Amino acid sequence: MNIHEYQAKKILNRYGIFIPRGKVAYTPNEAKRAAVHVSLRGPWMLKAQIQSGARERGAFIGSSGRKGGIRLIKRRRDIIREAEQMLGETLVTAQTGPKGKFVSRIYVEAFQKVRKKFYAGLVINRVVPVLTLLLANLEDGGQSILDKALENPKEILKLKVDLNKGVSLRQIELARRFLQLEEPSRKHLQKFFNALHRAFVENDATMIEVNPAGVTKRGRIVALDAKMSFDNNAMYRHPEILRLQDDYEEEDRALKAAKFGFQYLEFEGGNIGCIVNGDGIALAAMDFIREKGLDACCFLNVKGGVDRDKIAAGIKIIMTNPKVEGILINILGGFLRCNLIAEGIIAAASEVGLNVPLVVRFEGTNKDTAKETLINSRLPLIIADTMEESVDKLIAAMEESE
Amino acid sequence: MSILVNKNTKVLVQGITGTQASFHVRKSLDYGTDIVAGVTPGKGGTEHLGIPVFGTVKEAIANTGANASVMFVPARFVKNAVKEAVEAELDLAVCIADGVPIHDMMEIRAMLKGSKTKLIGPNTPGIITPGEARLGIFPENIHKKGRVGVVSRSSTLTYEAVLEVNRAEMGQSTVIGLGDDMVIGMDFVEVLDEFSQDDETDAIVLIGQLGGAFEEVAAKHYKLMPNKKPVIAFVAGNTIPFGHKMGYAGDIIAAGKVTAQDKRAAMQDAGMIVVDRISQIRAQLQNLLR
Repeated sequence: MNIHEYQAKKILNRYGIFIPRGKVAYTPNEAKRAAVHVSLRGPWMLKAQIQSGARERGAFIGSSGRKGGIRLIKRRRDIIREAEQMLGETLVTAQTGPKGKFVSRIYVEAFQKVRKKFYAGLVINRVVPVLTLLLANLEDGGQSILDKALENPKEILKLKVDLNKGVSLRQIELARRFLQLEEPSRKHLQKFFNALHRAFVENDATMIEVNPAGVTKRGRIVALDAKMSFDNNAMYRHPEILRLQDDYEEEDRALKAAKFGFQYLEFEGGNIGCIVNGDGIALAAMDFIREKGLDACCFLNVKGGVDRDKIAAGIKIIMTNPKVEGILINILGGFLRCNLIAEGIIAAASEVGLNVPLVVRFEGTNKDTAKETLINSRLPLIIADTMEESVDKLIAAMEESE
Repeated sequence: MSILVNKNTKVLVQGITGTQASFHVRKSLDYGTDIVAGVTPGKGGTEHLGIPVFGTVKEAIANTGANASVMFVPARFVKNAVKEAVEAELDLAVCIADGVPIHDMMEIRAMLKGSKTKLIGPNTPGIITPGEARLGIFPENIHKKGRVGVVSRSSTLTYEAVLEVNRAEMGQSTVIGLGDDMVIGMDFVEVLDEFSQDDETDAIVLIGQLGGAFEEVAAKHYKLMPNKKPVIAFVAGNTIPFGHKMGYAGDIIAAGKVTAQDKRAAMQDAGMIVVDRISQIRAQLQNLLR
């Protein structure tokens, strides 16, 4: 789960990290009031609150201007006009995909002058796995952090951080030299790292990124931007963070699926809806479909679902997606019992109708009962025995129904 | 021999009284698994499915000599359940739960370090040695005894791989699902080591998938292994870049190497036989072992 910049900043600030004065605004008038509130004379930053990187270089759909989602405003009278250009519009960045993201609110911030910027990220390294602190010097107009990672990985300092103890004194000194900061900055750096670490550990974060962090004239470290991601599986112990979830950020169908404990993903293009019970089989099924020259447009992972009604509700999400022209169900039952899926298919079909070809392949726990249930239902669906066969049969049926 | 579990493994079940646990424990018993005890805090002294239930793992071991555990406890209680298993020095713990918090798993990894206990999972179908022991939730009707070891990250593709081995008219020595999560207990490296020392395993089928670097790490290890057994490898996820993006930290760590193709190249380079689709495993096995 991700949260917005202004929410992440508020959390980091609670742990002692300096942030520029800022206020969130939902309307242009609110933006103007917020601006006066955070700084009388400006300049100000207007920042579109969508959960994506590269907002500055993004573009708004339908706007001719080349201005992105992060703007420096010098005159107070420009605020309303600039805010109007952002609020209620859709911002496309390198990380959002072509559909972009809807800007429901902007963050109005006092511009903070800094003499140096750097990148700081705290993340769980999947390889080892250990908590890792990432640091890089940033030059204005220089290489982005991603390009650095790909082309000059040596310019990124990676430090393994003890999950319980945090960043060590030796590591702080290493970081200070790497970032070319003067001796007196050490205590600021220590405070900054400690806060990052505590915010990470105490909130079940999976990633915190301050990109950039700024160093002020007096050596203080300020978070100029902030991103935080959290572990969905641990949100039961952080209701205060769960409340920050922004429904605008989730697709309707994904939101619905999540309510039933399922995972739903949509892709550009494609016309086949897949229902599976694991990531691995989802990937393999989509690989197969691609091999046959078609593409999946969405998939639903019912994981180890054991509740028939929830499964039916999940299947309905796929059945009612207008892009879906064929449905492929591949279930390898273990924990999940195939017969529940069969009953779910029947319940869903009886409610919303089955208007596109549907191929089912069951293997594992209770597969025979499941097949029997489907056959007895007299629904016009096709049963297959292997994954390859299921894809072949679906494609044949889709061609026939055209 | 098989690896990690066999007919002599004495199994206890943590969280035995739940509905899902009951369903699968019954199946495991029918399969012939030697389940000797259940553990449910507060229910010590009772009986469930004809198996004595104890309040703690230590008590269960003292009374029954159990040496392995299957955990059916919910995700949020996994950390404590593993702690109990580690402190009681069980040889093996299998954790079925899906959705264990990552931070809990990081702590669990720290607990396991230097301990006697090996952990399979979480989010795994478990481990099965056909005809001998079933620790987990595998569909019990698909496995056949044989000499091919199967290890996979994805639960569902584990079954797919097992079916392929059957279609090659062979069977499995032991089948292990490592678990679908980002932070897990045993990984490919440890399982490859186990299989390489097992005189009843002739070849290994390894199923990887997009995400993480488990396959790259396995390839590196395999390359340097002195007594290699042939490995037939498949990696799922050629078409789709998974998940959506938020920030750069993940990309920096991976340094751009995130595709299934990168994984396959690394495995091929290490000397594994890499197939493009699961259904090619059959022919490769027949090539190797006929």
